[in-house]
Amino acid sequence: MINTTLFQQLETMRPVLLRFAFLQLRNTEHAEDAVQDALLAVLEKPNQFSGASSLRTYVIGILKFKIIDHLRASARTCQIDTLPDQSEDDVINDLFTANGHTISAPNAWGDPEATLHQQDFFNTMEICLEKLPPQNARVFMMREWLDLDTDEISKELNLSTTNLWVILYRARLRLRECLDINWFAKTGSA
Amino acid sequence: MKLNPNCKEVHKLASEQLDRELSLTENTGMRVHLLFCRACSNFNRQMKFIRQAMHKFPIE
Repeated sequence: MINTTLFQQLETMRPVLLRFAFLQLRNTEHAEDAVQDALLAVLEKPNQFSGASSLRTYVIGILKFKIIDHLRASARTCQIDTLPDQSEDDVINDLFTANGHTISAPNAWGDPEATLHQQDFFNTMEICLEKLPPQNARVFMMREWLDLDTDEISKELNLSTTNLWVILYRARLRLRECLDINWFAKTGSA
Repeated sequence: MKLNPNCKEVHKLASEQLDRELSLTENTGMRVHLLFCRACSNFNRQMKFIRQAMHKFPIE
């Protein structure tokens, strides 16, 4: 018999889980499948949840595994563009003068520890991730959210490792700029 | 990699150190540059901060 309280708790989490699955997979149908798989896995074995971590952390952990399954299954049908276009190179080149100096030097970001405890900061970060180009976001989140190693990602996506490093660098540059403008400049910590 | 990388090169290394092991030359060149370049030091800390934040993500 399904524990109704657990069921309700999971249903409450569903919208957040869907948003994150979508951020990673960038496909509504796949995101819904991954979330459904994760919720079913939790409901089928509710006793596996020891209570040592929060239910939310536990469910997100399972969701990550389900998303990885989906990425693996769709790797063959969903290729990443391996050749970045010109505008992609500009993301890097626009930051520097011809002799490699920064055009506008990055400011310090204040107290990182305090920032990491603010829900609002994570809301801003979610918006910044949404704004990344889909391909860029997908690769970046495989690396930084799903914590896959670079060898595995380059194999899954059929990318050279040097290409992968550049894609990750671009994603970090974009994210850095977005956070700088929309969080650190506004909160006065920059 | 040159012995004394410029800001553009150091920015790239600051990102790549999160994805691969830097060579001794790269690592030394970057460390020395970071000692006197505040812009790159800030950038380097921000790259590490972004990783930390992504690992905590999403919080409630």
